[in-house]
Amino acid sequence: MTQIAITPPGRAGSTSGFPRRRKKPRDYVGIGLWVALLISAVAWFVPFAFMFLTSVKSKADINQLPVWSLPTTWEWSNFVGAVETGNLWVTAGNSLVVSLIKVPLGLLIAAAAAFALARFRFRRHRLLLGLFAVGSMVPVQIALGPLFNTMLSLNLLDSKFGLILPYLAFGVPYQIFMMYGFFRAIPDELEESSAIDGASTFRFFWQICLPLAKPALAALFILDFVATWNEYAIAATLLQNQSNWTIPVAVQGFNTQYTTDYGGLNAFIIMSAVPVLIVYLMFQRYFAQGAFSGAVKG
Amino acid sequence: MAPIQSLARTAPGAARGPRRRRFVRALPYLAPAALLYAYFLAYPMIDAVRLSFFEWSGFRTESPAFVGLENYVRILTKDPVFWTALTNSVIWVVLSLVVPMMISLLLALALNRRMIGRNLFRSVFYMPAVFASITVASIWRWIYNPTLGLLNETLRTVGLEDWAQQWLGNPDIALYSIFAASVWQGVGFGMILFLAGLQQVPPEQVDAARVDGAGGWQVFRHVSMPALKPTTVVVIILTMINSLKVFDLVVGMTGGGPAQSTQVLALWTYTQSFSNHNFGQGSAVATVLLVISLFLVVPYLMWSMRSDKE
Amino acid sequence: MVTRRIKVKAVGVIAALGILTACGTSPDGVPEGKGTTQLVVWMPASDSEAQEAAVDTMVNGFEKANPDVTVTVEERQTDPHKQALRQIVGTDSGPDIYWYWEGLGLGGELVDVGLSQDLTEYYDEYGWADRFTNPALAGVTQYGGYHGVPFGQQAMALYYNKDLFAQAGISAEPTTYDELIAANDKLVAAGITPIEFGGTVNWHIMRLLDSLLETECGAETNTALATGKASWAEEPCVDAAYTELATWGEKYLNDGYFGMSNSDSSQLFFSGDAAMAFEGTWFDAEVTDSGLDPENVGIFAFPTGSDRLSAFGEALYINAASEKKDVAAKFLDFVTSDDIQAETVGSSGAISVNKNVEPGTENPLNQLWSPIFGGASGVYGPSDQNLPLDLTTEYWRVQNSVLTGDIAPDKAGDAMQEFVDNQ
Repeated sequence: MTQIAITPPGRAGSTSGFPRRRKKPRDYVGIGLWVALLISAVAWFVPFAFMFLTSVKSKADINQLPVWSLPTTWEWSNFVGAVETGNLWVTAGNSLVVSLIKVPLGLLIAAAAAFALARFRFRRHRLLLGLFAVGSMVPVQIALGPLFNTMLSLNLLDSKFGLILPYLAFGVPYQIFMMYGFFRAIPDELEESSAIDGASTFRFFWQICLPLAKPALAALFILDFVATWNEYAIAATLLQNQSNWTIPVAVQGFNTQYTTDYGGLNAFIIMSAVPVLIVYLMFQRYFAQGAFSGAVKG
Repeated sequence: MAPIQSLARTAPGAARGPRRRRFVRALPYLAPAALLYAYFLAYPMIDAVRLSFFEWSGFRTESPAFVGLENYVRILTKDPVFWTALTNSVIWVVLSLVVPMMISLLLALALNRRMIGRNLFRSVFYMPAVFASITVASIWRWIYNPTLGLLNETLRTVGLEDWAQQWLGNPDIALYSIFAASVWQGVGFGMILFLAGLQQVPPEQVDAARVDGAGGWQVFRHVSMPALKPTTVVVIILTMINSLKVFDLVVGMTGGGPAQSTQVLALWTYTQSFSNHNFGQGSAVATVLLVISLFLVVPYLMWSMRSDKE
Repeated sequence: MVTRRIKVKAVGVIAALGILTACGTSPDGVPEGKGTTQLVVWMPASDSEAQEAAVDTMVNGFEKANPDVTVTVEERQTDPHKQALRQIVGTDSGPDIYWYWEGLGLGGELVDVGLSQDLTEYYDEYGWADRFTNPALAGVTQYGGYHGVPFGQQAMALYYNKDLFAQAGISAEPTTYDELIAANDKLVAAGITPIEFGGTVNWHIMRLLDSLLETECGAETNTALATGKASWAEEPCVDAAYTELATWGEKYLNDGYFGMSNSDSSQLFFSGDAAMAFEGTWFDAEVTDSGLDPENVGIFAFPTGSDRLSAFGEALYINAASEKKDVAAKFLDFVTSDDIQAETVGSSGAISVNKNVEPGTENPLNQLWSPIFGGASGVYGPSDQNLPLDLTTEYWRVQNSVLTGDIAPDKAGDAMQEFVDNQ
């Protein structure tokens, strides 16, 4: 799962220059930089453009026309066909169910554990934190074989609900690690005053800490949703029947099975990425605002 | 509602009370995460190490047979693919530290300035990271297609047909072709981290340096870079860890081929276990990967947590 | 107060996990409607529309005759198909029926681990022993008892493009190995790629190596090598075969073969960019589907100089873990029946396993197989069906290493023997 460290919002805003005292000469460096950035951005975007262009071409066009030419006919049927070939509704439904259950549940479990480690401060809580962190950083492929057997013995193989359990196990530790610093930074006075007001620890957790953690939770929500939706290795190992596949497994299935249906493949890829793109676009202002400030302390 | 107790070490709220009892009271919060972690993550990882001392086909109907260190001997002496995978993983880590990290840093520096379309730029560079790695693999496999793909076709159109290659079919360059795709995907993430780190650079120091007559490069060297050090450490560690995790990209683009020339450790352990039905050797490779990962992760964690000491 | 809240929360979490667990427990993971039985069949994906149509005929016909049954066919490419089956051994997640190759190395592997149900009682019930040809029956009885119902009988040979041969000045089909090499050279001289292979699927080039071994070593020694009675390191013909393989890789194969699958490389044959393809009876349908004119395509056996034909069988096996074996057997009886076989013959192979059914006549390429079958007095199967899985993996590794130059041809036999000795 992707990783990023968060602390409570600190210094936001970009480095700005001091107020101009005199008229500056033409900023050639700045313009040159901007042009270079533009060229790079275009280069970065080219694969997407190519993907889209292929998805609307017919097989004949792909085989015969030059690569950058527009299609002779816009084959939107590629998209329709890809939905059917790749069983898009079923797999997208599977991915959606898995993500919508796992992400909020995981955040809750992680927040609770981070709260426990940060506020209770029992002996060796840092050791436990370290153990959690280690688990999150080690490649999952190490555990795939035994995980297969574990899920098998629980009779949870080939089940999208069963998939949620290892997903939680692998996603939660890193979230704990990230939220730990957050909860640690909550001032003790806040806790004291809430206790004076007669609130239980749980109330303190639920009504004060969690709302305070909203920026971190929101950011982790996006990252976790994207990571869960895009997860391939565990899903490919545990899910067998094609009707249980999640989107990434379906993409790879399409990739290997219909190797010459380039139009359909690209159409399928575009459609499969739409939900994630939506989530990203909805929340990307957090990136733009620099809500991720600091990436240091755990 | 227990009254606030004062102890020798006063601590408010949840942390009050004898330490032993604190753990008990923390348990309900901790339990779900701990149980999930222990059963579905820690236990399989440890079991992988245990299995590395056995020989097993993986079929449920056959039982593992204890063979001691034999699997390790085999992967080190009789398994040429293991060495290819190890070398490729190392190459991947080193290249990742050099290429995408540099690009991320440069992009972050450039996009830290005010300019038209800055957010759009940031989005374009970050967008590939939103796609699943297996999807990126499919996209680039198509780009690299020798007859109809974007790269070769464009080269032919501009008259550079000698440069057209079997990007994924040539054992000598296939790994680097896959790496290029990972750069495309990964640069945005490092850029975001560096951007966040740059926000931490104290503006007063930058201003002071400018007032002292420092040019852009000197400001960078003496003010930004030291302030970026913690971020850089994080980026380095994350880059190394993610390099070891490379799996989806290789599966989607070459499956480890041609002739196993693009195998990496994470994929080789999977291939040995699930494709070749050799769980013993697969687990041995997994253990090697685990040890390497721990070598990277544990020192970083100890450093990171020590600087958090209260 | 505190404790009560926490208890409530804990119960809630446990309940949630409990619900998750309960929801997940479904035997085959596929939803069933009320009152209908669902039969799940796993098959490898086909590149041919005729074959897909044949499967549809079988499924639709059976569902019509048995309205309370729905048949779901799941398709995967060859290697994912093998992997998926191996993965569900001992679990409930497998299909009711699976299509698989025969031979000790492939079909036998799954029999050994208990995936295949012994079908003796169904053979008695349906009288299958009288339905199938002798070679077909030999394929399902080789493991003791009856495992699998014969479904396909395939042979392999060299398909060639007549126009391209004429262009290169090749006037007759090669009947000896030297003539084949001479033909290759003529094609290269004319600027034509002699033969296409897809290197990412190891079993494609394997066919070439198998035939080279048969050519250089002859039938007896080749069998001895496969059964472990002769040494790979000591037989000089082994070195010769690998040397030939290296030569083919250098001179006669399509550019970039290592990076493409057999589906990709077949396109080269269909588009006239390669003169030959080493394929089998299933390929007839693919050729006609691709738009290539069948009149322009010829087939000749790989001139190994032995009397044996490269051939193998395929069967539909019933999963021992299936809870619907009776329905499955009924389905298998249906698809191998005279009527259905007569309707679908020629789609997946030139001849049917059912001895009451004549060879297909729709596909003109099917006729070309008669002399090839007739001229053979025995068969040799592909290595991945003869050898156990780990030896097959090593076989492929050595084959690929010789082609990339990582192992010298004269060391390849030593590498194989070393592996055999270490077992």
